[in-house]
Order: sequence, then C-alpha cells, then structure tokens
Amino acid sequence: MSDLSNLRANLRVIFSAAEMALRSNLTDGFVFFGIVIQPTIIALLAFWMLRDQGNDAIIYVVIGSGMTGLWTMALFISGQAISGERWTGTLEMLVATPTPLYIVVIGKTLANVLQSLVAMVATYALAGLVFGVLPRILRPGMFTLSLFFAVISYISFGLIISPLFVLNPQVRRLQNGLEFPVYILGGFFFPIALLPGWTTPLSYILPPYWAARALHGASSGGAVSDILFAIGMMILFILIYGMITARLFQRILYKARVEATLVRQ
Amino acid sequence: MNVIEVSNLRRVYNANVGAIRRSHKEIVAVDGISFHIEGGELFGLLGPNGAGKTTTVKMLTTMLIPTDGSIRILGLDVVRDAKKLRSRIGFIYGGERGLYWRLSGIDNLRYFGSLYHLDPQATRKRIPELLEMVGLSERGEEKVEGYSRGMKQRLHVARALLHDPEVLFLDEPTLGLDPVGARDLRTIIRNLQAENKTILLTTHYMLEADALCQRIAVINKGKIVAEGSPAELKSIVSDLSVIEVEVFGSVDDFLPTLRAQSFVDALSIENREQKQVLLIQSPAGAEAVSPLLGLLAGVRVGKVIVREPTLEDAYIRLVEEDV
Repeated sequence: MSDLSNLRANLRVIFSAAEMALRSNLTDGFVFFGIVIQPTIIALLAFWMLRDQGNDAIIYVVIGSGMTGLWTMALFISGQAISGERWTGTLEMLVATPTPLYIVVIGKTLANVLQSLVAMVATYALAGLVFGVLPRILRPGMFTLSLFFAVISYISFGLIISPLFVLNPQVRRLQNGLEFPVYILGGFFFPIALLPGWTTPLSYILPPYWAARALHGASSGGAVSDILFAIGMMILFILIYGMITARLFQRILYKARVEATLVRQ
Repeated sequence: MNVIEVSNLRRVYNANVGAIRRSHKEIVAVDGISFHIEGGELFGLLGPNGAGKTTTVKMLTTMLIPTDGSIRILGLDVVRDAKKLRSRIGFIYGGERGLYWRLSGIDNLRYFGSLYHLDPQATRKRIPELLEMVGLSERGEEKVEGYSRGMKQRLHVARALLHDPEVLFLDEPTLGLDPVGARDLRTIIRNLQAENKTILLTTHYMLEADALCQRIAVINKGKIVAEGSPAELKSIVSDLSVIEVEVFGSVDDFLPTLRAQSFVDALSIENREQKQVLLIQSPAGAEAVSPLLGLLAGVRVGKVIVREPTLEDAYIRLVEEDV
C-alpha cells in the first residue's frame, strides 16, 4: 500500500472511529451530564456571581464552561478510549487489524472533543437567555484559530492519557482528583494571577491553561501577540505529546502481548 | 506446502498469588509443542479446558508473544512480521465479546472494513454477501445487543472473513451454542474449507472434530499427546471395547478399585440427567461386564452397553494416560 493510499485509509478510520464514538456516546448518560448539565450548572452559578460585570465577564464564563466540558470529556471519556475497548473484548479485534491503534484513538478523541464543544454553544445560548443579549467575541478570527488548536491539543492530551491509564492503574486512580484542580489551574473561570504564585508553574505545564488563555484573550480582545504566544505553547505541547504518545503506544501494545492483558477476563 | 509451522512453542504466564504475602508463580500454559498445517487443511486442536488451546491460538494470531519457540504462518514470523501477517489471517474467539453491542451488525462490519483498510465500495458489496452466508441478512440492521449468542458468533465469522483471509483460526466457535446453532456453524466451516481456506479449529467436542477435521492434535497440560487423522487416533483404542454402565447415586468411592482392575484401561464418568454413566475402556469387552457389576455391588445399576470405541474414547484414553 502506497503512503498516500495508506494515509487515505487511516483518515477513513479516523472518521469511522469518530462516528462510532458519537453514536455510542449519544446513549451514554454520563456524556450528556459532562457536556451539557455540568457546564450549564457551573455557568449559571458563575453568571449569577458576575451578573453586574458586563460582556467580558459573561464571555469569560461561556468559554470557561466550554473548557470544563472539553476537560471532563478528555479526562474521562478519551482517557478510557483503550481501557474501555479492553473491557468489551474489542481491543484484540482492533489490534488484529492493520490499522495502528493510535489512529482509532485519534478518531474517538476527535469525536469526544468536538462533541464537548456543545457545552460552549449551550452556555453561549444560556448567556443570551439570562442577559437578553448574546455576548460578543471581539477577535473572531483569532478565536477560531485558538479553538482549532485547542481541539488538537485536547486530542493530543486524550492520546497520551489513554495508554497511560492502561499502563499504570495508579494514574487512573487520580482521574477524579484531576478534574476540578485543572478548572482552577487552567484559569477557566478567573485569571491565574489571582492564585498564589507557587501555582503558576503548574498552570504553565497544562495545555488546557494555554487553550483557555488563547480563547479568553481572543474573545475579550486581548493582545494578538499574547494570543499567538498561547497558540505557540499549544503547538509545543502537541509536538511533545505526539512524540511521547508514539512511544507509549508501542510500549503498551508490546507489554500487553507479553503480559496477556489485551483482554480483561 | 506448510502454511503454518509451529516449533517448540512455549508460553509461561507470571502470576502473583496470595493477598497478604504475595508470591510470584510461573504457570506453563504451552510446553514446547510443535506441529504443522498444510494449505487448505482443516486441522483440529483438541483438548480439555485449560489444556493450552486458547493460548496457542492467541500466539498464532499475534495477540500473545511466545516465551520460547517459533511460529511461521505463510512464511512470516508471528512476532517480527505481526503487522504484515494480520491482514492475511482471520480469527474468531469463542464467546459473545469483541463486538460493538450498541451498533448494528452492518455498522460493526462497516467499521471493521475500514480498520482493515478495505475499499468502502467493495465493503458495501461484501457485507450483504457475508450476512447472507452466515444467515443474518434479515437482522443486519438490528443492534448487536439484541442478538442471541449464536447470532453474535455468526457475526464474528462474518467479521473474520471480511478481508478474505487465507488462514482462519476458530477458537471453540460452537461453545455455548444450541444444537441448531452449532450445526449451522459447522456447515459454514465446511463451506470455508471447500473454498480452500487453511483452518485451525480448537474444540473439546469430539463429534465436531471427527466430522470436520482432516488431522487432529490432542493437547493436554500444554503438551501434544497425539497427532493424526481421526481414523488414526481412533485406532489407538481399536483393540478395546467400551462398556457403558448407567448408575444412580454416587459411585466416587468405587472409582479407585475400578481403576485398579487389570481389565480397566481407562475410566471416565458422564452426567446424563439424573443418572451417571461410567465409561470403561477394556480389552476384555463383554467378558468384563460380570466382574465389573460384581465390584459395583450395592450400587443401583441401569442399562449396560458394550460398544465399539469412538474418537471421544481415544481422546479420553490419551488424556487419562497423561493424568
């Protein structure tokens, strides 16, 4: 198979896996909670607290709520992209095909991330309902660019945690504990400058922080250089995660074939 | 020409035992087996539960890395050339798992078609053919969660054949199926062999192995204890007769005495509804009936039959000898 037809075949798998994940998620109550109910509750509370602060605060909440949906989906649903297949006995079937496993995980994560953008749209519409006027995005072009890289960076995050959850059950135990701290350290609802200084380095190593910074900056008309810097940081993380992911997938599959853990008995 | 060559294959599992004082234990699942399968042959791997059949199949299908030894399929090494090999082999493992239950049968096949990098148009054409072949044409649009066990197994067959593999591995495909479902699946397997596919079938149903396989290897405790055609394996017990004795109530206390008799070569027990049947292989034939009944004094005995041995009797002898 030539490189071009191989690429085409892998792209088809990405779309098939994304379609599969979307169909499957449609019947999953947890997914509905993660992308609609939870962000809406958080947004309502935040709107109520910031009701006198004007457009900037409202759009901050809209994006922050959307980010919570993205993060929850990446952490819980994408994180289980491989372990879920193992539980249902389909991992062996996937590994037995000529498609590299990470291609399937990219497809599933793409679906999860795109789906979680529903949260952002839902809170945007909610803001319109609560305040009677739709909040404005001041740099729509930069916002679109930031959103594109935010989606890619969340996919790369999903790609790195799904094999980690399989390789190391201890990491999986941290799953619940990782949800809310990243809402805070990622600056989803308020700038990290309000946090103690020692937490700043922690924020800087989190791709969600740079995604939030770029999106908040673009929506509130922040400096273009600052938005581009945040996008650059997302690209850097995407590259680093990409390199680690390739090795992780090789390792997890070899280890699973040695230890007979491709399927859960 | 040999399509599958297995040489000195060994597989050891590492297990941790004990809740408080954990210790490490090595379990030898497959212990230095060798065999070969020719192109277009239907080869049976026969053995009791835990004999090493599934472990062998998982190594053959690249899902497990052997601890020692080598496997070559279609001239490719299963460890080194796993990626190349995967598009040329197909497999089904017994059981209902391994399918996406929330999707329809057709959607499952379409998805696996893309995973095997098949042309979408060709897949669209092939899916109805395969569903027709496995008898699922009417139910293809339904979600898999509503399928019976037999239907899921047949969908697995369709999935395994989607990319038209040259070699097929069928691991206990009829396990848990009702008699009609099992018969239908055996017909499908026969048809596949007629298409000149090389097939390895594992089973512990003797009738199935006898009816389908050209050659059989009997595996027990990770070792191959006999290999040959069903007729050759039956000849192992051709000098014996089988005495079937129906008994009611427990006969466990009598077993050591019975096994110690010179006219008893092998002994096993089958449960049939409310009675048990003692299956005794004996060179003495009908002459052994009288002393046998004498030893069972006090036990309520039903019908007694003396018959020619079958493949199952050969299997029982091989496995018992190994015990």
